[in-house]
Amino acid sequence: MSSLKNVEEKHDVIVVRTTGYFNNEAGDAVLGVCNEKMENGKSKFLIDMEDSTVVNSIGVSVLIEIIEQLQEIDGAMAFINLAPIVEKTFNIMGITKYCTVYASEDEAIEKLS
Amino acid sequence: MKNKSFQDLEKELLKNNEDLTNKFLELETLLDLTNTINSQEDLKSLFFNILTISSSILNSSKGTILIRDQVSKIFNPISAFNMEDEKIKKQIFNTKKGFLNDLNQEKKVSIIEVDQHPNMSVFESEYAIAGPLMNKNKLVGVILLFNKESRSGYVNFDENDKKLLDGIAKQSSIAYQNILLLESLIKANQLNENIMSSITTGVIEVNLFGEIEFANKESLRILEMDTSDILGNHYHYIFEKNKNLIKIIERVELEKKSVFELDFELQSKKKKVMTNLSCSPVFNDKNDFSGIVVAIDDQSKINKIKSTFKKYVSKNIVDKLLDNEDSLNLGGKESDVTILFSDIRGFTSMSEKLEPTEIVEVLNRYFKEMIKVVFEFNGTLDKIVGDELMVLYGAPLENDNDCDDAVNTAIKMFESLEKFNAEVVKDGFKPIEIGIGINKGKVVSGNIGSDQQMNYTVIGDSVNLGSRLCSNAKPGELLISNFVKENLKKNYNFKKIPSIMVKGKAKPIEVWSYKHSN
Repeated sequence: MSSLKNVEEKHDVIVVRTTGYFNNEAGDAVLGVCNEKMENGKSKFLIDMEDSTVVNSIGVSVLIEIIEQLQEIDGAMAFINLAPIVEKTFNIMGITKYCTVYASEDEAIEKLS
Repeated sequence: MKNKSFQDLEKELLKNNEDLTNKFLELETLLDLTNTINSQEDLKSLFFNILTISSSILNSSKGTILIRDQVSKIFNPISAFNMEDEKIKKQIFNTKKGFLNDLNQEKKVSIIEVDQHPNMSVFESEYAIAGPLMNKNKLVGVILLFNKESRSGYVNFDENDKKLLDGIAKQSSIAYQNILLLESLIKANQLNENIMSSITTGVIEVNLFGEIEFANKESLRILEMDTSDILGNHYHYIFEKNKNLIKIIERVELEKKSVFELDFELQSKKKKVMTNLSCSPVFNDKNDFSGIVVAIDDQSKINKIKSTFKKYVSKNIVDKLLDNEDSLNLGGKESDVTILFSDIRGFTSMSEKLEPTEIVEVLNRYFKEMIKVVFEFNGTLDKIVGDELMVLYGAPLENDNDCDDAVNTAIKMFESLEKFNAEVVKDGFKPIEIGIGINKGKVVSGNIGSDQQMNYTVIGDSVNLGSRLCSNAKPGELLISNFVKENLKKNYNFKKIPSIMVKGKAKPIEVWSYKHSN
């Protein structure tokens, strides 16, 4: 089951759209994309989770790993289209302290780029 | 005891902080689960939400919920999360063996040893945990979660997961019971509504405050009102033109006893309706008075049916039909009936000598006398065509005596005709002579015609033969076929005459004759 819907670049920001259960597998898939893009010098990532309405703590811990890596290279990660229950999990796990949740993709791209 | 180093303390604090965060997340997720499952109104969304939330909280990679079929007792997947359920659907799960057998005995959350249960292989998982869904201490379903995730790969579920799933399974069991109850309540209500809207008695329910809480279709028709006119309004307002009904309801409120009224005149919006009415108190399960039910039977409808039918059949047949509607056969059906035809001999030459108004007068007087005889012997008047009368016996109600009834009708018709002739001759008309033919056989009976005009009648060869016998009968003669003769229970003065050939029949038909003597 593929966890990534698509990956595209907009104004130097890598937009990663996920799909389905955001668990270890989905986290690893996002980590793979981020690592590859970081090697190519990219440091701004926007994760669109419109089609991922269920997350588990392992998936979130992978996101934290990515954010740690991004902090080392002065990069940033942001999120859009979070389901309320996902946003709540992010808040509890503290992920939103290190990255922003935007109301729209346009706003996120503008702020990140 | 060795003092902990600063680094050890920092690690411990970080670990405690992580544990606290996880506990907080678990608590919040459990609260979410409570809110979510209590707001679900259908089973599919309930189980899907349970699965996603429990998978999320237990970090399982996938899951499914199996629910016991009430008839087959097989546990079928009702929801699957992050896995294909096609394979699972083909596997039979029941409490006779496998992990469900253990779960049914233990009735508590258990970590399943996947290797020890062959029917678990269908889930293609290394680790599994099962939470029982219970109803009245019976296993009715199971939440199955697979492969707990960690950053180093899949790991087995632990005691903490068992506690969490136990909470989830208990809440889910209650939610499942509630939804089943709600569904059965909705079904019962629908059934009640269907019954109420299909019955031919008007039913009105008045609550403790005197407000009309329910009115079925028939009551709205009788009162010529809409639901919006009647529901929620006080009966004093709705029945303001029916002071007597108000008094009856008040009496029932006071005495808490049923009241029955026959031939009760009810004033609807535009007209008066003759009804049979009953007004009964309603008591709840604690035997407290909780309202009144008014049942109204529209008698005008029954009277209309009676008066319409009585033009075609005798009173006793109408009463039998109304008493037992199942005996009425108005759809197309092959049945065995006896058919009587009679017509006036020389009617054409007679009518040429009379004025049209005189023809109508004589015919009306003649038919009035003849039809009286028809009904006396339980005949059903099928049709009158010109001077011809067609009468059925054994339809629409079966009758063992139909041949004797038909023959007795014919004999009495001859006798009545004598009296009739004596009267009309006095009035200056010529006497009438008739010939009668009777046959018995299989016919197709039912309502035949188009949407515009439809009549209950019979068709078939047997009908044609009856008509043919009538045509062959001389004035004052009754001709019957052998089928009628064989079915007569009494002896009549019939004589065999030469057989006749009938179109469509290879062999000649045996015929018996009865001649009326003055």
